[in-house]
Amino acid sequence: MARRLLILALFVVGVGLIAFAGVHNLRSRKAAMQKAQESEVVLTKADAPADAGADPEAQPMLGKIAPQFTLVDVSGKKVSLSQFKGHPIVMNFWATYCGPCRLEMPWFQQLEGKYQAQGLVVLGLDQDEGMATREIADAAKKVGVSYPILLPDDKVASSYQLGDYLPETIYIDKNGKVVDQTVGAHSKDELEADIQKAIGAGAA
Amino acid sequence: MRKRRGTGIREQGVRIGCWAALVVAAVMGGSAGAQQIQLGQMQTGLGATPHKEHVELLSDAVQVMAGSPQVVELRFRVDDGYHINSHTPKDELLLPTVLKLDGASGATVLGETYQKGVPFELHVAGSGDAKGELMDVYEGEFRVMVRLTVPKGASTMSGALHYQACVNDACFPPKTLPVMVAVRGE
Repeated sequence: MARRLLILALFVVGVGLIAFAGVHNLRSRKAAMQKAQESEVVLTKADAPADAGADPEAQPMLGKIAPQFTLVDVSGKKVSLSQFKGHPIVMNFWATYCGPCRLEMPWFQQLEGKYQAQGLVVLGLDQDEGMATREIADAAKKVGVSYPILLPDDKVASSYQLGDYLPETIYIDKNGKVVDQTVGAHSKDELEADIQKAIGAGAA
Repeated sequence: MRKRRGTGIREQGVRIGCWAALVVAAVMGGSAGAQQIQLGQMQTGLGATPHKEHVELLSDAVQVMAGSPQVVELRFRVDDGYHINSHTPKDELLLPTVLKLDGASGATVLGETYQKGVPFELHVAGSGDAKGELMDVYEGEFRVMVRLTVPKGASTMSGALHYQACVNDACFPPKTLPVMVAVRGE
């Protein structure tokens, strides 16, 4: 009898320990999951240029009147957006370290020539930090562009609500309205379609 | 016989106790292991959350022989879909990846050797045969070998990895990843 009682007691203790372990385990898992969820960051597509707080698909300037600015180009000359009033304008934000930027810049140069009769203006707005003007000018020359290259200004990047990536391009029609805003390098055909949009939109 | 039976009960009791302990240990130990795997996957697994920095340090602790120059391997990982320039990019306009470490607590950094990059050709979809320059980049995991001498005991190497990340059609501004490695000299 005593033997059976002892076995029963040991069995009860064993089951109790297993139940305790189960509860302990459940609590630990819940705590770990909660901790993991707290440190979780929103997942983004790996092939998209996505930084926290910036949606590359967003076009915050679309349909708005392009903010005015006056900047200095690499030759030291002041350049204002207002001096191109009545022209379709391409504002291409780039940097010397940006390979995709340098890939599409020669296409802008070619398209500026192609649509010269329509008054197309292309402006390159450099976004390098701490780079000498001479180096920026040399880089633009190496890339093969001769349109105005304007030196960086945080206020302009801020007023056009740029993201944390380059290139970014703003297309403005003859009335000064933003008709497209793109992120990343695009094919020459896509650039031309956007340019035609800028030319056509303000034609009426 | 009784003595034998008595001994048998004690043995049976001990056996049951052992089984119970084993079951408890298995339940607790097994679940703890599962948690570690799950958390590990969430933090560092492939396809995990891209970091705002796009690069992470995988080696945060090393053990080396004290007193004489040793080489330690620091492993970094670039987020999937991103690349950074190697230490020797092919174009002078591209910013190289550079690791700068400071010795601390008697540790002396003697130099760094970088892994070779892989070729990467820029290409914009829909642009036909038009291709950009051929670059030399790090994708996925890459290593920097650091030659150093350390004293006995624990010390810390700190510094930063300077790099500039891109995806195929866009680039991010140059960034700096703080690097801190616990070193134990034995």
